[in-house]
Amino acid sequence: MIELVYSPNWFYGKDIEIDIVSIFVLFLIAIFSIKYFRMDKKNKNYLYLAFSFLLIGLSFLFKITTNFTIYYNVLQTTRVGFITYTYNAVKSSDIIFIIGFLLYRIFTLLGLYILYLIYSKKDKGNIIIIVFLLLVSTYFSRSAYYIFHVTSLLFLIFITLQYYRNYHKTKQSANKWLLLSFLLITVSHAFFCFIRMHSLLYVIAEFIQLAGYAALLITFIKVLKDGKKKGKK
Amino acid sequence: MAKKRERSDIFLDMLLSIQERGGKIKPTHLMYRANLAHNQMNKYLDELIDGNFIKRISVKNYNYLIITDVGLKFIERMREMKEFERTFGL
Repeated sequence: MIELVYSPNWFYGKDIEIDIVSIFVLFLIAIFSIKYFRMDKKNKNYLYLAFSFLLIGLSFLFKITTNFTIYYNVLQTTRVGFITYTYNAVKSSDIIFIIGFLLYRIFTLLGLYILYLIYSKKDKGNIIIIVFLLLVSTYFSRSAYYIFHVTSLLFLIFITLQYYRNYHKTKQSANKWLLLSFLLITVSHAFFCFIRMHSLLYVIAEFIQLAGYAALLITFIKVLKDGKKKGKK
Repeated sequence: MAKKRERSDIFLDMLLSIQERGGKIKPTHLMYRANLAHNQMNKYLDELIDGNFIKRISVKNYNYLIITDVGLKFIERMREMKEFERTFGL
């Protein structure tokens, strides 16, 4: 049976708000990356970055849609009691939950993999094998949710290491913020791996995720500001 | 060996050269400042004029090139883009 709800009751809906902030940041950067690609079509990395961020943003949309339905059903059950009608309604929606959560997971993993690909060698054979393994790990994450978070964590560690190297090379403030944002997102996934142990870990992970995406937004604002500042010099 | 400049880099260098001279420059000065051969410069100049990034004007029988608002906006966008590229390591 797929596990769906990890949030404590009092946190229902708050995680949706956090995910909406994440979507906003991801889509904003993706839109600008597409705009820059249109200015410099030779550099396909802009397109990869945009595609990666769009996939992760879409994955959050699936998570929200699924969570929203789950929370709605949970609240309804609590209020009305276990009458047959309510039970049937929840049961018939199970398939939507499962598909929603699987899409959330596969889109997140694919998004992270594309981001990882920007900084690593692109070999067609390897790409096919890894995409296959991502699909397999998503399938098995139905019964063991942590497989998804561990896989995400691995990608995020490599991406964060790359941003650490970039920062080490440039020592620029925007690079520092980017490193910090991915470090926080990585830590949030580390917490997500253990959410079954205590529901409070889910809350902590969500807040770290929020901090990570806030740092990503600051990175983006700094990029725009630094670009303008250098123009005035 | 120095990396070959991309077309967009050359456009940016030409526009920056004009901007640094207060928005107005003589074509020969632009050629030296943007580090271009005569033929190359004319080719890129035509493209920049066609795109309305710069304009040709004549003052006391001297030809000048002036940067337009579109050109200034382009510089801003290119700088943002380069900063974005550098930050994300693209």
